[in-house]
Amino acid sequence: MATAAPNSAERKTCWDARDLLWKCLDDNHDNVSACQKFHNEFEAKCPAQWVKYFTKRRDFLKYKEKMETEGFTPADGPQGAS
Amino acid sequence: CVSSSPSRLRYSLISLSVLHIYPVLGHYFQLFCLFCLSMNKRNVKSLSICRELEMLVQCIVGVLRGIGNIQRAYGSSHNCRILLHGRPKQRTQTRSWCDGPGQPSTRFNLQRRVVVTAAVGGAMLGAFWLVHKEKQRRWQQQRTEQLKQVALGQGTFSLLDHTGKRRSKQDFLGRWVLLYFGFTHCPDICPDELEKLSAVVTALDADASLPKIQPLFITVDPDRDDVPALARYVQDFHPRLIGLTGTPEEIKEAGRDYRVYASAGAKDDDGDYIVDHTILIYLINPDGLFLDYYNRLKNQDQIAHSIRNHMQTYTRQ
Repeated sequence: MATAAPNSAERKTCWDARDLLWKCLDDNHDNVSACQKFHNEFEAKCPAQWVKYFTKRRDFLKYKEKMETEGFTPADGPQGAS
Repeated sequence: CVSSSPSRLRYSLISLSVLHIYPVLGHYFQLFCLFCLSMNKRNVKSLSICRELEMLVQCIVGVLRGIGNIQRAYGSSHNCRILLHGRPKQRTQTRSWCDGPGQPSTRFNLQRRVVVTAAVGGAMLGAFWLVHKEKQRRWQQQRTEQLKQVALGQGTFSLLDHTGKRRSKQDFLGRWVLLYFGFTHCPDICPDELEKLSAVVTALDADASLPKIQPLFITVDPDRDDVPALARYVQDFHPRLIGLTGTPEEIKEAGRDYRVYASAGAKDDDGDYIVDHTILIYLINPDGLFLDYYNRLKNQDQIAHSIRNHMQTYTRQ
């Protein structure tokens, strides 16, 4: 049987660990090795699925930030009139 | 006031130029000169109002034009001085087109000018505000009509609530309902949205003139969210929140009714998975009709405001 869903306190513990990790990553320019301690805390306090989810979420937010600040070059598509 | 064609032309030209420089003042000027021009009798009071407005406009126009040009400014200040100090029996050098034969000059009363301007200004602002409110009301009505045509939630659902009691849609008729689909293993979005929903319900409860709205939470993860799981989950949110679950078929039926998208992700080693789903809060009226929806971008104040509007429009009908 699957483990029970985290309750409010457990959710908060996980979110706080995540926030600490993300702050560390922001301060260290996404250098994961510099924030290994926070990363271990984060993995310990959150369900595995949530770790995956939040990691993907951070990647997405960073990507979005990059798009908003640096702009983007459209991929090379087929040349000529379609 | 003289209502001859050359005067009309001159008044149009002056008001257009003033409008260009100072739009609001130009409007007042136009209004009052129309008023003056419509007077057939040579009413002393209206003539003096007309004259003082004309001079006010000339004063302002002169000053504005004179910015940077001292001579012009000095010339225009002649009119300004008359306005401020009100020299009686002083004839202006330019021919005023408010003049009629046997027209006595009068003292210009600053107080009267202020009152008159404030009254006109207030009336215009009031008119604009009324038009704006009406436009908003009409937009809201149109949106509600469109959503009614979408006709979500026409069917009925039959589910178990978090106390194990069976509930159907009929049980909630006669009450306003705020519905959210989610699952208990949700990392952050569902707790956030349910917090928001709870805050909205609390805010609306504070208003005694509004009916108490019923918050509902329907799971999109019936395999894991059984009655005890739901009971544990809903206690973290508003006390009136009811969690609903059932067999996968019952849940699918309810989800289909509201066109809710839900897709369970791949299971990991612990058998854990995340369900991707539509993140919307649905508003349902006491007749069971879907009226409105709110996405993640709407904050609790916007949602509460919108629901209040719906409730007030509903009771009026």
